[in-house]
Amino acid sequence: MAISERPSVPALAGNGGSAYVTPSSSMGVFRRPVSTTGWRSWVFTVDHKKLGIMYGVVAMTFFVIGGCEALLIRLQLAAPNNKVLSAGAYNQMFTMHATTMVFLFVMPMAAAFANYLVPLQIGARDVAFPRLNAFGFWCFLFGGIFLNTSWFLGGASDSGWFAYAPNTSVAFSPSHGVDFWALGLQITGIASLTGAINLIVTVLNMRAPGMSLMKMPIFTWMILVVQFLLLFAIPVITVALFLLSFQRNFGAAFFSVEKGADPLLWQHLFWIFGHPEVYILVLPAFGIVSEVLPVFSKKPLFGYKFVVFSGAAIGFLGWGVWAHHMFASGLGPVSVAVFSVATMAIALPTGVKIVNWTMTLWGGKLSFTTAMLFATGLIIEFTIGGLSGVTHAVSPSDTQQTDTYYIVAHFHYVLFGGAVFGLFAGFYYWWPKVFGKLLNERLGKWNFWLMVIGMNLTFGPMHILGLQGQPRRMQVWTDFRAGEGFFNLAFWNRVASVGSFVLALGILFFLINVLYTAKKAEIAPLDPWDARSLEWMTTSPPKEHNFDAIPHVHELDEFFHRKYEEDEATGEIRQIATYEDIMAEEMAHADKHFHMPSPSYWPIILALGLPIVAYGIIFQRILAVGGAVVILLAMFGWSLEPSVADESDYEPPTDGGTTKELATLG
Amino acid sequence: MTTNQTRHRRWALPLAGFGALVVLSGCAKDAPQDTWQPAGDNARKIDNLQQPVFMIAGLVLVIVAAVVGYCVFKFRDKGQAIPQQSHGKPALEIALTIIPALILVGIGIPTVNTLFKLAKTSDTQCVVNVTGQQWWWEYDYPVQDGCGGISAPIVTSGQLVIPAGQKVLLRISSRDVIHSYWIPKLNGKRDAVPGRVQTLRLQADQPGIYAGQCTEFCGLSHAYMRMEAVSLDAAGFKSWVENQLAPYEAPAAGSTASQGEALFVSQCSRCHQVNGILGADGTPVISRPDKYVYSGAVPNLTNLMTRTTFAGAAYDLMTQDCKTALWNTPSAQFSAKYLEGVSPECLDTVQLRQWLRNAPAKKPMYADPAKLVETGGKYRGMPNLGLTEDQIDKLISYLTERK
Repeated sequence: MAISERPSVPALAGNGGSAYVTPSSSMGVFRRPVSTTGWRSWVFTVDHKKLGIMYGVVAMTFFVIGGCEALLIRLQLAAPNNKVLSAGAYNQMFTMHATTMVFLFVMPMAAAFANYLVPLQIGARDVAFPRLNAFGFWCFLFGGIFLNTSWFLGGASDSGWFAYAPNTSVAFSPSHGVDFWALGLQITGIASLTGAINLIVTVLNMRAPGMSLMKMPIFTWMILVVQFLLLFAIPVITVALFLLSFQRNFGAAFFSVEKGADPLLWQHLFWIFGHPEVYILVLPAFGIVSEVLPVFSKKPLFGYKFVVFSGAAIGFLGWGVWAHHMFASGLGPVSVAVFSVATMAIALPTGVKIVNWTMTLWGGKLSFTTAMLFATGLIIEFTIGGLSGVTHAVSPSDTQQTDTYYIVAHFHYVLFGGAVFGLFAGFYYWWPKVFGKLLNERLGKWNFWLMVIGMNLTFGPMHILGLQGQPRRMQVWTDFRAGEGFFNLAFWNRVASVGSFVLALGILFFLINVLYTAKKAEIAPLDPWDARSLEWMTTSPPKEHNFDAIPHVHELDEFFHRKYEEDEATGEIRQIATYEDIMAEEMAHADKHFHMPSPSYWPIILALGLPIVAYGIIFQRILAVGGAVVILLAMFGWSLEPSVADESDYEPPTDGGTTKELATLG
Repeated sequence: MTTNQTRHRRWALPLAGFGALVVLSGCAKDAPQDTWQPAGDNARKIDNLQQPVFMIAGLVLVIVAAVVGYCVFKFRDKGQAIPQQSHGKPALEIALTIIPALILVGIGIPTVNTLFKLAKTSDTQCVVNVTGQQWWWEYDYPVQDGCGGISAPIVTSGQLVIPAGQKVLLRISSRDVIHSYWIPKLNGKRDAVPGRVQTLRLQADQPGIYAGQCTEFCGLSHAYMRMEAVSLDAAGFKSWVENQLAPYEAPAAGSTASQGEALFVSQCSRCHQVNGILGADGTPVISRPDKYVYSGAVPNLTNLMTRTTFAGAAYDLMTQDCKTALWNTPSAQFSAKYLEGVSPECLDTVQLRQWLRNAPAKKPMYADPAKLVETGGKYRGMPNLGLTEDQIDKLISYLTERK
């Protein structure tokens, strides 16, 4: 493990404040960087919190890009035979919209939350493998940029995010788009895989004393389940993408029908990854709302154990339902029957979650902050998506619904109403933890209501469009097949297009809120929500070492139980301590030594080699060799790097930060 | 006026409006690909299965929304004490897991039952081979006793013609990428997978025309890969078959159409087949689409004007009025009306003309040689042939005789 002893620094040294170490002037390839300020402190950082923030910023940027792609799609479909996008551009647009939203927004945004919060929630000082963590982030960033450069280098992938063979063969997709797609996703996949290993080891090994698995915050639990899903799902898609890259670039014939291949191989590989992927996208959001709902209901999560086990059950069952994406592929009635029943079965643990969230509200003391609004909104929107899911678990009905807008409606209720609403609940809830300031609630309400109205206007009508027979992935629809009367396609397509702009406006309010909050000076109190879990038992933002003293855990919702106690006779809940008391207590027992990892140059250099190899494979093989040399050198450097910066690299500790720290506390 | 009355009035208008809307929408025509209006046994089996599921799903949503809504209003923070820190009630959890489990069993059993009924192929009466390629469908009727008897193979495209009331078995495959065959009013969809032959039952109760659309993304022109299924009564289907198998009639010598025939042989027949057409030397002209087109097939144009669409059912050969009239013809008269083909007064050559002038500009296709390196120069779709207006006139006059 890369965590080792660093020269002692004062317990109250701040994070991001004035530096307590500065780089010395000595030079050498294998020295570790030591900057704690300026751009170097970000680029070479291995701090899980900084990496979490970077994941978040980059993912948000991709969210905006993917959103613009969605708006262009809706503009094209607003009128029959529209000419906003050509057929080629439209196909690229929906491919990249899905790819961006799935791989470059929801997954890394969940990684942002996981990176930042999991160590804090379990009372750890960092993740198990900090350099690997940094490497993962740079792979994600470079992979995402690499993917999007395809727009300027001959066109993006035009084969859909599902990329069914043999339509991805060079003969059918002659631009380099699919190459960019396949190679780019292999690079971002490294981020998911290394992240998964890192977080699993962190959660299993680095929990605070006393925190048994069943006392672990529910968000961390859901993240743990997701990491296991990633650990097993990412290799499958990586293999599939690897085969595809060889098919396209080195003349392999894995998907060449004329050479005897079965094109359904790709579908099985893709969906064995693709269905667990759905849970990879949505379970982090489930974890977030399972934190938010109890805090704003002033009650523990109803049926914590049921929620944990249903999450794990989804994690297992999620592997046995992939072929429900293939009910029209011609698997034969026996396979279809098995997957149909399995798909219905997975509705049960999902239903358990909805019941438990609702019962958490029941009898609570509910305060509707923006975070709570998003969490409550998720219950309803996700239920709609879940129920439409049951209608196509019924496989004969699915043969009518699959590849129509009904499916588009379904998965946007699941992924927007579920995953994205959960992430937004998380933004509002944890913003003061990460940035020390509360997002504006007034702008937040605008943000929420515009998003709710916008999403239902956009995706609600798609149920009608699909049941009226409008297929997906069609560049144009025609007046002749639009019908008349209440359910006509023309009207509802227009409503969906208008809705998408309302939705975009809602998201714009969020971005405005972020800027507004950044400008205002007001510092949030340390426990603004009267929260329940460990991450709130430290400063906001937390110091580099997270906790001055590693807390000892006795209960689920440890922080709440330190603040409140139940009167055994009357059952009344009364406050026994304020958060100031608790934090002062922790500070008084601050550790003398912190085991913190040092920054490193190598993660970013190693990651930088990957897109060079990928460009080389596409354009000029010799470039790939150059990239491979960079990777080898970086591995070499990484292996020989001292585990911690030499003591001579640091200046003696100053008292910097102490004053600021106390001010924050007050 | 009491407040109570005001409240009633406030609701009255929207309610009446909604009621009127529902009634009106009942009268209006839904989209031709409406999945809730089955017109045949297979689609009806699906509909009978799905309607209760939609109702149950709707009911569950109402219950969840009502409970959440109740909580939102009832338990809002009004200064009440912090509630007891209860961690849940296992009995309630188990009950609320068992109830949905029972509902799902209730849905699952008929699902599996229907699924196997829809997969049955042994009782079908008529076979059509359906082959997808970028971006149109070919229908090939093998010689059979079914379908009222077909004595020689028929190859057509654009419109699938089937006998009404008969259980038709489609054997679906593809020549290039994966497509999906879907006529919503007659059955769910079935993918056309290259290298595999998959089956789909189709049965239309009444003569009529039913819309469909390729529903597996199949590349550039996916949106333009449409289909129409036409069902005819027994006599109508018989005469359709006879007409398809009728011997070739060459245009009158010296006519514009005859010049068009010569042009067709020189310009079109490398790829497009017209059965029975003879070359200048009097030998039959056999097209070789496998040499020029990547999928190896192009539409057979022998009886182009018996169908009302072309280019993957994306464009019409008749005026919009005639098309609407055909689609709205009551089933009793439909067969006769359809068998008229594209009558002279209905003929609309505007789109066909645009097509001949520059096909890839009309429908997105890969005709740019720079994009055909990997296909060995073979086209994916129809290229721009650079025809003159005069040549186009001649071709049109030839093609409009292909009935």
